[in-house]
Amino acid sequence: MAVEATSDSWLARYAREHVAHLVVIAFFALYPGIHAVLTTSPVGAEAVALLPDVETMTAVCYFGLFAMSFDFISGYTGYLSFGHAAFYGAGAYFVVLAANGKVPFVPPSTSFMLLLVFAGLTALVLAVAIGAVSFRLSGVYFAMITLGFSQVLYVFVSGWNYVGSNPRDGAFVTGERGGFEIGVPFIDSLNVAIGQLTGDEIEGLLGAISLSAGEVSYYAIGAIVVVCYLAMQRVLHSPFGRVMVAIRENEERARAIGYDTFRYKLAAFAVSGFFAGIAGALFAGFQRSVTPDDTFYFLVAGDALLASIIGGFGTLVGPLYGRLFDESVREFLSTAGAGGGLLPYLREHVPADVLATELVGGVTVQGAIEAFLNGHASLYLGLLFVLFVLYVPNGLLGTLRERLGGTVASWTARQVERRR
Amino acid sequence: MIDGLLAFSGAPVASAAPVALQIGDALGQFFQPTTLARVFVDGLAKAALYVMIAAGLTLIFGLMGVLNFAHGSLTMIGAYLGGAILVVLVGGGGPTSLALFFVTVVVVFGLLAAFGALLEVSLIRPLYDRPPVYQILLTFGLTLVLDELARIVVSFYGLQPISDWQAALGTKPALLTQSVGLGPVSVSGLALFEIAFGFVTVLAIYAFLTKTRYGLVVRAGSEDSEMVDALGIDVRRVFTVVFALGVGIAGVAGTLLAWDATWGASVPLASETLLPAFVVVIVGGLGTFRGTVVAGLIVGLVDSTMTWWFQNAISFTGLPEMTIFLILVITLIVRPQGLFGLAEVGGH
Repeated sequence: MAVEATSDSWLARYAREHVAHLVVIAFFALYPGIHAVLTTSPVGAEAVALLPDVETMTAVCYFGLFAMSFDFISGYTGYLSFGHAAFYGAGAYFVVLAANGKVPFVPPSTSFMLLLVFAGLTALVLAVAIGAVSFRLSGVYFAMITLGFSQVLYVFVSGWNYVGSNPRDGAFVTGERGGFEIGVPFIDSLNVAIGQLTGDEIEGLLGAISLSAGEVSYYAIGAIVVVCYLAMQRVLHSPFGRVMVAIRENEERARAIGYDTFRYKLAAFAVSGFFAGIAGALFAGFQRSVTPDDTFYFLVAGDALLASIIGGFGTLVGPLYGRLFDESVREFLSTAGAGGGLLPYLREHVPADVLATELVGGVTVQGAIEAFLNGHASLYLGLLFVLFVLYVPNGLLGTLRERLGGTVASWTARQVERRR
Repeated sequence: MIDGLLAFSGAPVASAAPVALQIGDALGQFFQPTTLARVFVDGLAKAALYVMIAAGLTLIFGLMGVLNFAHGSLTMIGAYLGGAILVVLVGGGGPTSLALFFVTVVVVFGLLAAFGALLEVSLIRPLYDRPPVYQILLTFGLTLVLDELARIVVSFYGLQPISDWQAALGTKPALLTQSVGLGPVSVSGLALFEIAFGFVTVLAIYAFLTKTRYGLVVRAGSEDSEMVDALGIDVRRVFTVVFALGVGIAGVAGTLLAWDATWGASVPLASETLLPAFVVVIVGGLGTFRGTVVAGLIVGLVDSTMTWWFQNAISFTGLPEMTIFLILVITLIVRPQGLFGLAEVGGH
């Protein structure tokens, strides 16, 4: 046995164990291409209506990272961190304030890669401070005290006129700072700027590929998210991660074996806060403006919770799929219809007299769609969420794992092994 | 901490001395009897509302250990329902009488209690065997659904979901819009009505819990529901009744809020009431009704005191809203189980 195992090069084994990851990353990498091909194909109109556009996918990436960091603490140690938005907000505000030269000792021209790390560290310090107090509690009380802390910060930031002239509306990047660059630090040619308007465009890559600013941002942010995912994955598969799961399963027993569970929980919370901060920083770097309501508000953590439950609570990558699902539904039912959606599709492809048909009491088909479907994605996501909690408590990925009898990565590794 | 922040935000340091003087002045003003009396009455009115909002939540948690995240949404629905009934009864606006209000309260209580019973039986009952986190998750999902449904219905009738419903505010009887002289201070009639209404509600719930046989079962169930079950009492039905009761009380609180211009019937009322309700319930100790009443009083009085201070002496726009969350955080640091709570409740 042992001889057989060593006869394989470690690299081949490593690649085999990561086939699932490579497939997913390849899918995300090819997505802009697939999207472009499908939207110009004969089924183009349907594709526009159904598939999320690249900007939405970018949002899926950074918010997915936030949802993963939420799941890292809540799904693996069992401590529901309902105030997780605090760390997302801390990272986001850090980037905007630093770019405006309002953070002491951080010049406004600091490279974005460094800002990402600093934003993560700011959130980490905050997480240690909040966690040191909160981990004396458990269960419902823990969820509530973290919620309390995040709401204190939310109200504080909405009233703190240091961040901008009208803090309730948030802050934005002022001054001449161009797009935030992501890439290899200190090598200019290996950096690209992100942002819908400020980002770099790439033309003639490898002779044939041209990328718009949105696509460049998508790849750059996606790359950071992959690195962060692998880092969290590494932590979870280490002995440290095993202790986290032990705390979830039976904290008293973990303590009885001799683990100082308080320290483990605090460290896990710090790591989780760090990545939530990075997610917030990516959000701020891409959008270049932040508001208290889409960073510090407790429903932001609620969105992460939604993504985690649908994707799979206690599976690290599940929340990313949960968020992908979530955003796709929202875009499909959005009122703006920027990325294409149900209503623009129907307007174009269904005869006007069908849309104007009266259903009941003077309500037309179009009126009914506008009243009950468009802009009301929360209703259907909420219903779905309730159904998931009741009938699919493990979420999409968790259920898949149950069927496959292990993680998807180990299952694919076994399949590849068998077919060699 | 505030001074430090202001200095950090670039306020001139030289202004420190005048600020101290102002605070001295403000102290003098604050301790004048009329100011104190007004702050006290305001605080009592706020406390009455906080207790009303939180009472249903604490009853439900005390018996079943379910932290009902949908409580705020149900309060919001109560506000709209109560407002709608009042508006229809008065015939499209204008003040109503207190008698009609009490009719409305009874109807709203009945409707929401029925809805609550339905929710408990269909959605929450399957989850009692799971970890408590799942009940939080389920009721959280419920808030999303209820809020969005309310938004659809409200905008269907041509109202702005995010701003207060003025027609409902307008049904407030003339009696309550006047101010009443109480010795040296004049207080708004609505504040007095809220205090009286809250007082009666607290007494009614207290009497239900301590003087009736059903209340005895509820209290016993809070101590040890398995034991009550073993004694041959159908605890599941008690659960349903208490959940219905809690939801009904939330609806009544909402109806009262529809008259108060600082709250008003709107869809965001759901989270505006949910968060204070959590704070009150947790500060008091999860699941103790006595704790909730005391905590409601404390939070109401501190809130009105701090509101006065921030309006008259310290200028930082967000701080009044921050007060109640600071009370939560400080309580949980000093006494993690809440004022009257037991350490074992609410943990894993």
